[in-house]
Amino acid sequence: MRKLQRRVGMGHFRRCHRWGILLVLMATGLGCQESQAPYFGTVRPRHGPDELWINNSSEPEWLDPSRCSDSTGGEIIWNTFEGLVQAHPQTLAPLPALATHWEVSADGRRYTFHLRPSQWSDGQPLTAHDFVFAFRRLVDPQTASKYASNGFIFTGGAAIARGEAAVDSLGVRAVDDLTLEIDLVDPLPYFLNFLSFYSFMPIPRHLFTELDRRGIDADFWTRPEHVVCNGPFRLTEWRFRQRMVFEKNPCYWDAASVSLARVRVAMVESATTALNMYAAGEFDWPGGNTSLPAEFLDHLAGYQDFHRHPYLGVYFYWINTKVPPLDDPRVRRALSLAIDRDALVKHVTRGGQIAAAALVPDGLAGYEGLGLPVFDPDAARQLLAEAGHAGGVGLPPITLSFNTSEGHRQVAEALQAMWQRELSIDVTLANQEWKVFLANAEQMNFQLCRMGWIGDYADPYTFLELLRSDCGNNHSGWSSPAYDRLLQEANREADPNQRLALLRKAEALALADQPLLPLYVYTRCQLIKPYVRGIWGNHQDRHPWKYISIAADGGVGESSAGDHAVSVSRPSEVRR
Amino acid sequence: MTRYLLGRLLELVPTALVIILASFALVRLAPGSPFSSEKEIPPEIRRQLEAKYGFDRPLPEQFARYVGNLLRGDLGLSTKYPQRTVNEIIAAGFPVTLSLAAVALVWSLLVGITAGIIGAVRQNTAWDHAAMTTALVGISVPSFVLGPLLVLVVSLRLHLLPPAGWGDWRHLILPGLTLGTIYAASIARLTRGGMLEVIRSDYIRTARAKGLSERLIIWRHMLRGGLLPVISYLGPAIASMLTGSVVVEKIFNVPGIGPYFVDAAFNRDYFLVMGIVLLYAFFLLLLNLVVDALYGLLDPRIDYS
Repeated sequence: MRKLQRRVGMGHFRRCHRWGILLVLMATGLGCQESQAPYFGTVRPRHGPDELWINNSSEPEWLDPSRCSDSTGGEIIWNTFEGLVQAHPQTLAPLPALATHWEVSADGRRYTFHLRPSQWSDGQPLTAHDFVFAFRRLVDPQTASKYASNGFIFTGGAAIARGEAAVDSLGVRAVDDLTLEIDLVDPLPYFLNFLSFYSFMPIPRHLFTELDRRGIDADFWTRPEHVVCNGPFRLTEWRFRQRMVFEKNPCYWDAASVSLARVRVAMVESATTALNMYAAGEFDWPGGNTSLPAEFLDHLAGYQDFHRHPYLGVYFYWINTKVPPLDDPRVRRALSLAIDRDALVKHVTRGGQIAAAALVPDGLAGYEGLGLPVFDPDAARQLLAEAGHAGGVGLPPITLSFNTSEGHRQVAEALQAMWQRELSIDVTLANQEWKVFLANAEQMNFQLCRMGWIGDYADPYTFLELLRSDCGNNHSGWSSPAYDRLLQEANREADPNQRLALLRKAEALALADQPLLPLYVYTRCQLIKPYVRGIWGNHQDRHPWKYISIAADGGVGESSAGDHAVSVSRPSEVRR
Repeated sequence: MTRYLLGRLLELVPTALVIILASFALVRLAPGSPFSSEKEIPPEIRRQLEAKYGFDRPLPEQFARYVGNLLRGDLGLSTKYPQRTVNEIIAAGFPVTLSLAAVALVWSLLVGITAGIIGAVRQNTAWDHAAMTTALVGISVPSFVLGPLLVLVVSLRLHLLPPAGWGDWRHLILPGLTLGTIYAASIARLTRGGMLEVIRSDYIRTARAKGLSERLIIWRHMLRGGLLPVISYLGPAIASMLTGSVVVEKIFNVPGIGPYFVDAAFNRDYFLVMGIVLLYAFFLLLLNLVVDALYGLLDPRIDYS
């Protein structure tokens, strides 16, 4: 799972920054007084038409595809490397990239990819062996990748990561220089979609030999002085925590369709500072990893350069099902039914989030959501009475834990008030600093703790695997052999509709027991200057720079399509 | 004096050891691990990660190894920024924090001393009141209010300077002013106070009697006396500019080392926390020493021998 943008305990700074933004909003005065200024800040690019200035929020941990596990690194890898397939910038459907075409075996477990002849940025030929090297490296315990589990879909992957099998036993083979054969544990219907994820990029084998020969630590291979890549852009300058500069990679196979020559990426962590810089024209687009300050979304939503789209993430609370009184499913369900989720997203989170009582977002990859009621206080009171706690009588105090952040606190306070009002339950709030919070979640040292989960690929399984008994991210203590069996059956099911039906059955089974309290599906809010073209809202917030261009005329006054689509000027069909 | 300084330098060794031990114990006592995240890491992988940083060893051994590396000038590897050593991170960030503090220092001295002189020379006039009221406001307005205000007016309204970032001199101005103003205000009051103390002293009267010009009296005689308290204030002020730049560096996204003070602890980036703590400790101890030595030089009443 992609690491969530987290908000650690910087209450002080956040408060300071709220001051800042208030002042900024007053100064730019673009709100009520000046209705003829429909954009937030400058509307002319401060650079040439072949440049893009964006933010990436923080210094990435790794730029190494095998090791990267956060979205800031992912943003860079996606634009400097290219895998077998790429995601369509609007629909995210898998498109041919380095692989021109592929065959799937009848049982859906073996894929044969045919690669186009292409080159690394140093002119060396890129072959199927570079993929074999990369995928082995991903699961090799020596690499110590936090995302090694992404390689567990290949046969032998999990055993290699546990140190029980040799690295070359991985089910990924180069048949010849341009043919790659992959064996999967299960016939995953989302495999091609998942394959565009940053963990599955090729890695320049020859660079490692070269660095080794020169006695340079291979861990540093992604530094600009060494790095060799195969994507549309290459890193040419990296000033620690200041900026990264990328230039178009002339060796990229599809270089002809790349419009930008240079991309300047800043690393501004504070959302308010990033907003100031956007207003001043220092950013054309704060980038997919920058969030806008929630308390000002209502105001920002009035500008034409503001865009909002649904995002593949669910905000929920884990319930510790091992400790009374929450070991009683009736109490857990009562808690869920007593939450007025519509009021929560409308008055508290205010980002246009979608209220949801189920774990899998409705409509995800053709999945029909459970359609659970998002608020039913009468049923909640009745369930609580059945459990012997009518009117909250006899219930020990319940504690809600969340990691220190103003946003999480507001949600927790809303839940506290709703449960008090509807069920007369007393709830105390406990906020913890991020790492302490994680340690407590891992050790199930909580009653209710907040969590967010961002899907890595568009398939219900990315959420449903959370509740598997052997999933290390399942902090509820809830486990059900029937549920595990249904998931396993689903992943072995070749018929996609049958499979979705099995997954739906599994989700219904789990939520009847309520091991967690889903609250809402995320949305992403963005500011994009009117002259920027080729950024589309999509539910994984992936916006390849390859398709981005700068409109010479400035683009002011053009209407951007509705809430979901962002400026579209290129033909919507992507070149194959 | 030399003996005194040597003694003080020797005292630094046990102090440093206590600081190392205390910070090592504190970061390790904090619950959580540098490798924890929402997503679980397979146990074998986690072992590899811990082995890479030596976290799989018993704590005393880790401590001994850390001190050993420290003596060789090696501050270890960062867990949050695995592409960088702590030495590299400090080498990249400390000059930034230093240049920010330098701008703040120059600004605070320039404004503070000027305002102080005006206040003293035109004591109890409108000039004095205006200067001292401004100083009072300067002391009272925190940097997280002043910073955004400056951004608002200078960057977003007047478009004179960039609102944040780092790269050339233009990026230094706003954070430097924000950081320096509070010290400028203190310096103004100290200068004024110091000058008023000497303004009625005999040697000033003598100077006047000799017929020296008022300008010469102010610059050569009064200011020298007025600056004594300022100089003693500068040691702690510089230290606090270096350590206190965290809010300013956040607001203006200055890539100095201020934010690590907070962030590295949150990330459980053990070696980075230790490196930053040691760096600051070193500077605080050094500045205290320098100030004590300066007292001896400037004030004849203090004699260290």
